Amino acid sequence: MTPVESGGDDSLYAVRQKVYVRSVTGWFATWRWTLVWATQILFYGLPWLQWNGRQAVLLHLVERKFYIFGWVFWPQDVFFLAVLLIISAYALFFFTAIAGRLWCGYACPQTVYTEIFQWIEQKIEGDRNKRIKLDKSPFGAQKLGIKGAKYGAWIALSVWTGFTFVSYFSPLKELIHEAVTFSFGSWELFWILFYGGFTYLMAGVMREQVCKYMCPYARFQGVMFDPDTLVITYDVERGEPRGTRKKGVDPRVVGKGDCVDCGICVQVCPTGIDIRNGLQYECIGCAACIDACDQVMEKMSYPKGLIRYSTENAIKKHWGRKEIFGHVLRPRTLIYGGILAAICVAFLWGLATRAPLRVDILRDRATLAREVDGGWIENVYRLQIMNMTEAERAFEITVSGLENIRLEGGSKEFRIPAAAIESVAIQVQIPPDAARPGSSNPIYLEVKAVDDPSVFVREKSTFLMPN
Amino acid sequence: MLKLIQVLWPSFLVAGLAEILFFTVINPQELYLLGTPVRFSPLATYSIGFFGFWLVCAASSLMTLFFQRTADEINHPEG
Ligand code: SF4
Ligand code: SF4
Repeated sequence: MTPVESGGDDSLYAVRQKVYVRSVTGWFATWRWTLVWATQILFYGLPWLQWNGRQAVLLHLVERKFYIFGWVFWPQDVFFLAVLLIISAYALFFFTAIAGRLWCGYACPQTVYTEIFQWIEQKIEGDRNKRIKLDKSPFGAQKLGIKGAKYGAWIALSVWTGFTFVSYFSPLKELIHEAVTFSFGSWELFWILFYGGFTYLMAGVMREQVCKYMCPYARFQGVMFDPDTLVITYDVERGEPRGTRKKGVDPRVVGKGDCVDCGICVQVCPTGIDIRNGLQYECIGCAACIDACDQVMEKMSYPKGLIRYSTENAIKKHWGRKEIFGHVLRPRTLIYGGILAAICVAFLWGLATRAPLRVDILRDRATLAREVDGGWIENVYRLQIMNMTEAERAFEITVSGLENIRLEGGSKEFRIPAAAIESVAIQVQIPPDAARPGSSNPIYLEVKAVDDPSVFVREKSTFLMPN
Repeated sequence: MLKLIQVLWPSFLVAGLAEILFFTVINPQELYLLGTPVRFSPLATYSIGFFGFWLVCAASSLMTLFFQRTADEINHPEG
């Protein structure tokens, strides 16, 4: 049994034999498809969702504002982005330690798009054997038609994917308008084709090579594994010695194990490896071989699970389910999990207490201090007021910290539009005898929302006296 | 082909990271090009920035590849 049929495919990396993946059904395949649907409905659907009369999720690059449902994030919120990345990393550590490459097998875009592309391929060209035959057949009108249909469908899906991707960064409404009037901005069009092209290349052409040679995670995932990590395992003890036999024959009688050496587990493997050789870094943990082998076992009336999720320890010590689950909680997972939970709580707390108002004070550099009518001394400040909410809001500015200190023209009210920064100049004055000449004095500027006095910012600044 | 991917792919990943970090901190409208404010559209600035980063990173990957050649390969270039 040769593991993979040779396909004469261009080898991008090491000599690559084209993998003709056989389709598979079963419990894990259902899960995989559920996740394909869930992630893709989310990905393709999210830009169409509206919120507060705008696109619900929009990482608006031109405005430099990220709209995510009720929130508006500014570059100043980069802290949240950083924490989000840390959370993702820890989640990856955590789940890898528990059950191996769950991410790769079920949720990674590379897997998901490969799966979708393969589904199209299978619908148009037929399952594995038909595809191998088709590729070997001479060129003709029929082959051209079938291949053309496949590539056409792939290209259409890729372009749509690229369009969706760009609509996360550029408002979808404008993009649709540009699409129907054929007036795409050149960069938008470029990025649609760039992302679409990459989708096509990765899911249609390179496929398992991305996981094998290009993915950083695949390279270091091993360090997160330990003997209690659940991974896809072939039960060597039960399966060997492998070999063909007649149906209904008790394998022990003919001196064989349960593996009938049908090779189906290899045919369904998207990375084209033989799981019977043990855990390999190429295995993306998609569990397709479990489904496939279970079907074989069922046909042979053997118990299922010759290939199954198990751990190194469980195989060695013949543990059952209970012992395996008993070892899910161990120092490594507890530490990963604990850190993960702590960061998540901190993140949510940060979100919940995120100030709806921010103020930056800049001293006006042109005029440090000057004398105005009545001998009063005046300093000018520039306030950058950020209204982080999505409604226009009125703010009142007051000043304190020195005797008789006042704003020119009394207390000031400013209206700041929704989710906007506005720069406001204010003149602060004190009587000449309130501070020593040449001194610099701490003062406090307070910006308060008129409709909600709990929303306020008090900032310290300095008041300079002329000599 | 392998060499091409070895140069372009890691640099692509790092350029993506650099792009995010750089433009989170710096507003493309506040950049100066040879003393005059950048007048491209923000989208153009982001894009050019990305390819700039990619180019720089690719140059570094290329150097790595170049220095990886063994003495034997240098002494007997015809292979
Ligand atoms: S599918 Fe199962 S029985 Fe068939 S070769 Fe693989 S391990 Fe053996
Ligand atoms: S060995 Fe099994 S689980 Fe691993 S990638 Fe292949 S089919 Fe998927």
